[in-house]
Amino acid sequence: MSYIRQLIGMFFLVVIVCGGPYMLYSIKEEVHFAPESVVTYTVYLLQQIGEGSLGTYYSGNSERSIAQDIVPFALNSFELMFYSVLIAVLASLLFGLFLQRFAFARHFQKLLNLISAIPDFVLILLSVLAAIQFYKWTNIRIITLSPTSDSNNMWFPLTMLAIGPTIFLMKVVSLKYRQIGGEDYIKTALAKGMGIWHILIHHVYKNVKPFLLADLKKTIALTVANLFVVEYLLNVVGLTRFIFSKEGFYQFNPAVVGLMSIILLSILVYLLIRAILYLFERIAVYK
Amino acid sequence: MQKRRVNVSLWVGAVLVMLLIILGIIGPYIAPYDLDFQEKVKNVEVNGKTVIVSPPLPPSNEHWLGTDKWGYDLLTKLLYGAPYTVFVTIIAAVLRLLIGTIIGLYIGIQDKPQKWWLSIENAWGYMPIFLPVYFMLVGLNRNSELTIGTLVLLFIGLVGLLGAPSVASSIRQKTEQIKETQYVLAATSLGAGREQIIFRHILPQLKEQLVLIAVTEMIAVMTLMGLLGMFDLFVGGTYMTFDPVLYHSVTNEWAGLLGSYRGFVYGNNAWMFMIPLAAFIFAVGSFSLLAKGLRERFQETYHRTPFI
Repeated sequence: MSYIRQLIGMFFLVVIVCGGPYMLYSIKEEVHFAPESVVTYTVYLLQQIGEGSLGTYYSGNSERSIAQDIVPFALNSFELMFYSVLIAVLASLLFGLFLQRFAFARHFQKLLNLISAIPDFVLILLSVLAAIQFYKWTNIRIITLSPTSDSNNMWFPLTMLAIGPTIFLMKVVSLKYRQIGGEDYIKTALAKGMGIWHILIHHVYKNVKPFLLADLKKTIALTVANLFVVEYLLNVVGLTRFIFSKEGFYQFNPAVVGLMSIILLSILVYLLIRAILYLFERIAVYK
Repeated sequence: MQKRRVNVSLWVGAVLVMLLIILGIIGPYIAPYDLDFQEKVKNVEVNGKTVIVSPPLPPSNEHWLGTDKWGYDLLTKLLYGAPYTVFVTIIAAVLRLLIGTIIGLYIGIQDKPQKWWLSIENAWGYMPIFLPVYFMLVGLNRNSELTIGTLVLLFIGLVGLLGAPSVASSIRQKTEQIKETQYVLAATSLGAGREQIIFRHILPQLKEQLVLIAVTEMIAVMTLMGLLGMFDLFVGGTYMTFDPVLYHSVTNEWAGLLGSYRGFVYGNNAWMFMIPLAAFIFAVGSFSLLAKGLRERFQETYHRTPFI
């Protein structure tokens, strides 16, 4: 029951956020604030959902059905989000925890920390620049920005999207590693002569996990924020297409539907990552 | 005893931020051209031949950073935009800090945890902040008849208000910790009121934290401005032409220039994009360095090395 209540709450939050352009507008030199106008739009949206369709939206000049487009768009976005978060979790566990005691992993982290001083969207722009320069020099094409090209060059947006969450999660995990590594029970385990992998899996991993899970939500939120930028700048046709259309006017229905689907997708991603972590524990920790 | 190392990040960061602020103050006065000076298409004689020279002009002696596609001097644009970039960032961050600190202190000092505020904090923590800001401003910002000042103030107010919960969250946590200490208990038993405890006993403890939060929030605000610029929403107004669809920054603020020239990344005239990008990275980088330096300086000496 509380889940349904949370979902309804989320829906209203999305409506309020997406209704911004109708709430705040200017006529001549005055700023008008009219929150009531959002209600009519919301009622219209709910009516259309009640009729069994999600309404239509304009892509350029052609009117298209949202329900028809939402599945392929959602698949693209899901692929990006899921793999990015997965990369973030795996990389941070690997470099932040299991390989942390080797110097190269720490140097790798220092490098990432240096990179993290630059905002993510600037990194994306810089890497586009680098890829273009690379193409000019060597004639080898590593990225394609056309949305109609075959989708097997998804790896570039994927890498770009994975950078932000990976840096964030790795920082969290390695900080916790350093704290837990100084605890007395680690000292005891070492003194008893237990193997280093045994300690890492049974003492460190188990104690890092709650913090990892707590920050997993934050990681996914970060991924979603970057998803907008990646899809927009690298021309990936995904759910954010409903919210920011490149040219043209603002549309309320697709924005609400798009944002709501992104939220549902991120919940799905969260559950999937939890499932993968569970499997990992069954295989490696509690075998 | 380890020798005290010179904190390079702090010094370099502080000098660069000072430079930015100075640039923000004197920028428009030292600009080499007027803002509306436009380089037109002209014939130039090179080695006895007449050559047509048309903008965009690459960096040269007359135009140190080149001109854009319409013949406007880029250095001039950057210098005129500097005050907006620097001061909007600083003021918005300070506003965030102010609102967040007040909320955080008063929520944190309460005896019971305030459920309603925690749920707001929680929900807002997952919201990418540029979404609400974008949607609130998009109806106002394009080809607006509002003055630049109104738009800038609206931006600062919105960013300050919407970003405050995250600041409030960290201040609240810290306040809750300090509230439990012995000296606060002593002050309470001596009859100190709520305001007395907040301003005499808790706030002084937060001084370092506050400075650090202010600088990190400046980075956050600048990133936000850059992001909005990517979506063609420029601080101080977007001037939009319809045929062809182009977006120009009214204030020439750096993130706005970056956003409006981002299309040139694919062409042969990539300097038009690189120069605002370099300026933006310089600005964000100086604040980042300052934040890093401050963090190193404030870091507790209490430090444990792991056994494994």
